[in-house]
Amino acid sequence: MVAPIAVADNLFRRKVVTVEKQSVLHDKSIVGSPVVHLVGMAVVLFAFWMILSGRTEVKFIVYGILTSVVTSWITYPLLLVPNKDGSKKFFVFGISLPKLLKYSLWLLWQLVLANIDVAKATTSQELDIDPKVVRFYFRSENPMAAVVLADSITLTPGTVTINVTDDGLFEIHALTKGAAAGVLDGSMQEQVAKLFGEKLDFAVAEGEG
Amino acid sequence: MTFDFTAREFLAALFMLGGAIFFLASAIGMMRLPDFYSRIHASGNSETLGCMLSFIGLMIYEGATLTTVKMALVFIIVFLANPIGSHILSKAAYKSGHKVWTLQDLKKEEDEDADLHH
Repeated sequence: MVAPIAVADNLFRRKVVTVEKQSVLHDKSIVGSPVVHLVGMAVVLFAFWMILSGRTEVKFIVYGILTSVVTSWITYPLLLVPNKDGSKKFFVFGISLPKLLKYSLWLLWQLVLANIDVAKATTSQELDIDPKVVRFYFRSENPMAAVVLADSITLTPGTVTINVTDDGLFEIHALTKGAAAGVLDGSMQEQVAKLFGEKLDFAVAEGEG
Repeated sequence: MTFDFTAREFLAALFMLGGAIFFLASAIGMMRLPDFYSRIHASGNSETLGCMLSFIGLMIYEGATLTTVKMALVFIIVFLANPIGSHILSKAAYKSGHKVWTLQDLKKEEDEDADLHH
């Protein structure tokens, strides 16, 4: 997942990009195994290379393996994000693949439903809209959970994440009544918490419209 | 009247037509919605399903080749990049103090209009 700027600039304030003196392979604060992360990333990058090149001569395959290994080795330290107190580091793409697939399918289905809803609201004779800002709190240990949640909410038609604060306050602009209710019922937050294997910490915040 | 296209082409065309309908809904929303924030929904978000259906149509039309996989990648990248654009635009507007239009504003506008006619 690519980080929306709201969360990304918060992360930079906490100095994510620090040059480690010790090798990342021996860093105990990383959640999960660095070797698995590195190999996984190299494999994905190599698959991407093969899809884009589509050539199977030995020369190109060797080039592909070399570039993907070097790229994953160089970028790995940049793809580690610390939690709030800095005691743990999370790999940005450290999400289990089956869970991610399940979440993506669920999200796609939500997208279809929400999009039909919004298309109906905007093309009906009387504009059936009720735009307002809704707020809720969602806290997680892994900062990527906030990123994925903000990204998913913005991707869902009818809701756009306007702002995410450091203490986990999400400000969402909702176009229709149904979209606002969909954000506040907590189903997406629950799915995201499940995706990252965390306990759901979600509360609707009171606020003016 | 003869039909010189295969079932696959027909299915692909059907999907692309569905995509075009959602793009049209998005464009209509862009014209009709009242303020900046609501228009972001139309411009950025309503396109997601249109984009999805169009790409599914193209992938069916192309068949099982490497180009289909590349199209799937483009589709994934659009899905990752699209919300970031919408989010940056809305965040910039929010930080610069752009007011969110609500139904109360509609009522106020209608009242003002009513005064003008008297």
